[in-house]
Amino acid sequence: MSEYIRDQVRPFSGLSSLLHIDTKLFIAIIIITIFGLTTIYSSSGGDLSLVVKQFTRITIGIVTMIFIAQVHPDNLKLFAPILFFFTLILLILVLFFGVGNTADRWLDLYFIRFQPSELMKIFVPLMVAYYYSNKPFPPRTKYIFIAILIVLTPVLMIMKQPDLGTALLIGMSGAIAILLAGISLKFFIGSTLGTFLLAPLLWMNMHDYQKQRVLTFFNPESDPMGSGYHLLQSKIALGSGGFFGKGLFNGTQSKLGFVPEHSTDFIFTAFGEEFGFLGVLLLMTLYLFIALRGLSISVQATDNFGRILSGTLSLTIFLYVLVNVGMVIGFLPVVGAPLPFMSYGGTSMVTLFATFGMIMSVKSHQRILRK
Amino acid sequence: MKTKARQDSIRKRNKIEEKYSWDRMNDAEEERRSHSYRAIIATLVVLGIFFTYMIKLYEVQVSNYEYYSTKSDSNRIKIRPIPATRGKIFDRNGNIIAKNINTFNLIVKKELIKNKEKFLDRVSRIIKLDSNQKQNVANQFKNRRLKDITLLEDITMEKYSKISVDKHILPEMELSTKSRREYPYPYATAHILGYTGKVSDADIESEVVQIQEGMIEIGKLGIERFYQNILAGESGFEKLETDALGEVVRTIETKDSRRGDDIYLTIDLNLQKFIYKLMKNKEGSVIVMNPNNGEVLAFVSAPGYNINLFTKSISQKNYNKILKDERKPMINRAINGQYPPGSTLKPFVGLIALDEGIINSKKLISCSGAYKLNNHKRPFKCWKKEGHGSTDLSYALTQSCDVFFYRVSELTGIDIISEHLYKYGFGQKTYIDLYNESTGLVPDRKWKRKQLQKPWYPGETLNVGIGQGYFLSTPIQLTLATASLATAGQTYTPHLFLRSQDSKTGNFINYKKEDNKFITPNVDYDSLDIVHHAMWRVTNERGVGTASGLKKISNIEIAGKTGTAQVYSLDAGKSSKKKLQDHALFISYAPFENPEIVVTVIVEHGGGGSSTAAPIARDTIEYYMEHKKRVVSYNE
Repeated sequence: MSEYIRDQVRPFSGLSSLLHIDTKLFIAIIIITIFGLTTIYSSSGGDLSLVVKQFTRITIGIVTMIFIAQVHPDNLKLFAPILFFFTLILLILVLFFGVGNTADRWLDLYFIRFQPSELMKIFVPLMVAYYYSNKPFPPRTKYIFIAILIVLTPVLMIMKQPDLGTALLIGMSGAIAILLAGISLKFFIGSTLGTFLLAPLLWMNMHDYQKQRVLTFFNPESDPMGSGYHLLQSKIALGSGGFFGKGLFNGTQSKLGFVPEHSTDFIFTAFGEEFGFLGVLLLMTLYLFIALRGLSISVQATDNFGRILSGTLSLTIFLYVLVNVGMVIGFLPVVGAPLPFMSYGGTSMVTLFATFGMIMSVKSHQRILRK
Repeated sequence: MKTKARQDSIRKRNKIEEKYSWDRMNDAEEERRSHSYRAIIATLVVLGIFFTYMIKLYEVQVSNYEYYSTKSDSNRIKIRPIPATRGKIFDRNGNIIAKNINTFNLIVKKELIKNKEKFLDRVSRIIKLDSNQKQNVANQFKNRRLKDITLLEDITMEKYSKISVDKHILPEMELSTKSRREYPYPYATAHILGYTGKVSDADIESEVVQIQEGMIEIGKLGIERFYQNILAGESGFEKLETDALGEVVRTIETKDSRRGDDIYLTIDLNLQKFIYKLMKNKEGSVIVMNPNNGEVLAFVSAPGYNINLFTKSISQKNYNKILKDERKPMINRAINGQYPPGSTLKPFVGLIALDEGIINSKKLISCSGAYKLNNHKRPFKCWKKEGHGSTDLSYALTQSCDVFFYRVSELTGIDIISEHLYKYGFGQKTYIDLYNESTGLVPDRKWKRKQLQKPWYPGETLNVGIGQGYFLSTPIQLTLATASLATAGQTYTPHLFLRSQDSKTGNFINYKKEDNKFITPNVDYDSLDIVHHAMWRVTNERGVGTASGLKKISNIEIAGKTGTAQVYSLDAGKSSKKKLQDHALFISYAPFENPEIVVTVIVEHGGGGSSTAAPIARDTIEYYMEHKKRVVSYNE
């Protein structure tokens, strides 16, 4: 049995210690958001209103982050099931009352429109971390299956919307959580094989446009004016940026509309076009730093809940980056996934900051192990 | 049984508890270590993926920078050519004979057409296109150089406003101003100017014309073709930045087009028109040339045709009408009409005999109305049945005695005749500034053996001697040869180009006659005198000269030679009576003492040279002399 000295906060300096903020993480995130704002301003042709909107969201995000950072992980653990099941209900509502252009992903509450699936991005890892927090280690197969069930329920509902991209991301973040919680090698190999066997089943349930995207991914040149067009133009934009980039406001591909969604899903392209490989290297290094910093926080966390939560969340953020950038450079099929802290968009920005609020909460409320 | 089951159950539970004991579960240290281990694996995976991504990004952004950079530029930068305005064409006196007019065309930009079938369907709902126009539209679709489809050419605003009522059916259509070539005297100048038309594949492959980016119209024939590169100017371009929808965002660079240079021709428009009128209802050619510099003052091939029809897309109906016209208006008779010159060749045959010493001026040959050649059953007839009696060269030319020339050519032989005829420019191009000139034909033994696989018969020499048989000449060749008589051997390449005016500087660039000197060698002035005198007698010695019946022109004496070429050979079978008639020819120069112009007249199936051709030449010379003051003053 170990003894803990509760709430013995590690020595932080000044304001960040007071706000339970991890300064290094925070600075990295702020730099990325500044990159995002600049790129949005540039590729929209100097549309300040977009920047103001995005800035407002960032501010709301920061406030949310600081607020969540104050919450003790134990309280997060307490609220985890409530939040998860509440959002699950919202997802059910979306299936019936959802609105949206191409797919009904949005819930219109008259004063605010948001995507419950975005919330699930946090609540699934939170729920898995909660579930494992009081389970024996290493987890029994039964618990693993229950955890998988926890993950799959919202994933299937989101697939039904249909939003394959988000569903897969959430599914993967759930998988990361389960893996971090501990799993036997045998089980890991078995489930991986199982996923591959299930792939055809998934394929058959996919919509035509989703199938088209996957097909295009494997052969983008087959249809240069159709689905492959985005990809090709995106690559052209990135490539024409060169080492130093075309310079701010000179991203012709993005500004002239050759790159679609240059402020949202394809913001990496617009950024890479103007800031070149140098900018891309800096940005990617910041993401890498964030992921590794999150992992180190998880290693230092004193309980299972904190470890699984902060580890999963930081890896999930990195996963989002990989999916978004991978889509731009042709590693992965085109799925609608925003680039964390860069892409223009409200729900995603606020949930991301909330995510880091949780990581920071884990970090700043560490109990020092005495022994 | 029951207890056993219970015991089993307890044993099982004990086993499980042993395995997953609270001690184990709560062994924080092990849990922590296990987590760190997984975190390290995760870190390695993250780093691995990071470097994979960075390598790929480096490959795209740095290694393949050139490739993508080029693609990015070609994405956004569009080059829009600015066609140059074509240079105008004037006659020597500054009368405009080819100009550009602005017309309104109803067009649709090709890039706006998504579905060709549906587009054509909608077009047919607004505009009634006949099958011919439909074919035209289909051709425009195929022609990749065309950026627009022209639905209607040359429409009035009135008509456009009528069509505009239905604009909702075809919102893509727009009115575009196009510059179109127009010729104020399309018939009279047809064979000089030629016409312009849309650039075709044949033009692109042609080596004589430069094709510029954005060039739509190109000279197809005549002067328009020959001086295409001068008239065309230089097209400019606009470098435009366009967005993904093809909308122009801004102009990056503009290079203005340079208007084509204007060209002044040697033609005297009034003379040209006058002669064309004289040739009304006749087929043939009249050429007026200044022998002293090769300037062609009039270049008539009758009938002409409406070249203005060709500058628009000519309808199949109109085109067929011109093609099937029995008078064959599209043949440029002045350079492509190959005629037996008949008696107009006699001065040259006479000169050759004199030069070679075969005859002298006093040599008399008796004409009894026919000439008997050894081994030949049929005698060679003179046009005058009763014969000319004893004639010398001068009288033989004046009277156009055939027997004299039968004898002379028999004495001279085909080898010498053909060799010397080449020296007068026969059998070869004159290199007038028009393409596709015919060479005519100077027959000789070699030619006959090669072409007909037969030996040369002596009788054929006799035929050549009077400008018949295989011998063929174009009107322009005859003009050049006559000019060599008029200038005593020093001739110049006939040309239509007088000068061009640089559209930028306004400087005139004159025709370089130095390059084009053509000298007839072995000129013996005594021999020439005899021929000159004889040609004077033709028109002046009353009752003797074959053209002496012509009304005199005050203060001017003409030297000439009539010719009547028989055409029985080829067309006889299938033709009407008119076609059986002889070609009427007349070569002349005037004034006799100091020749200023050479006039060649050929009237197909015109009958006698003296009755049909000579009067045309006479009227031409008279007109020229009356109006020459002005012409001369422009001459420098």
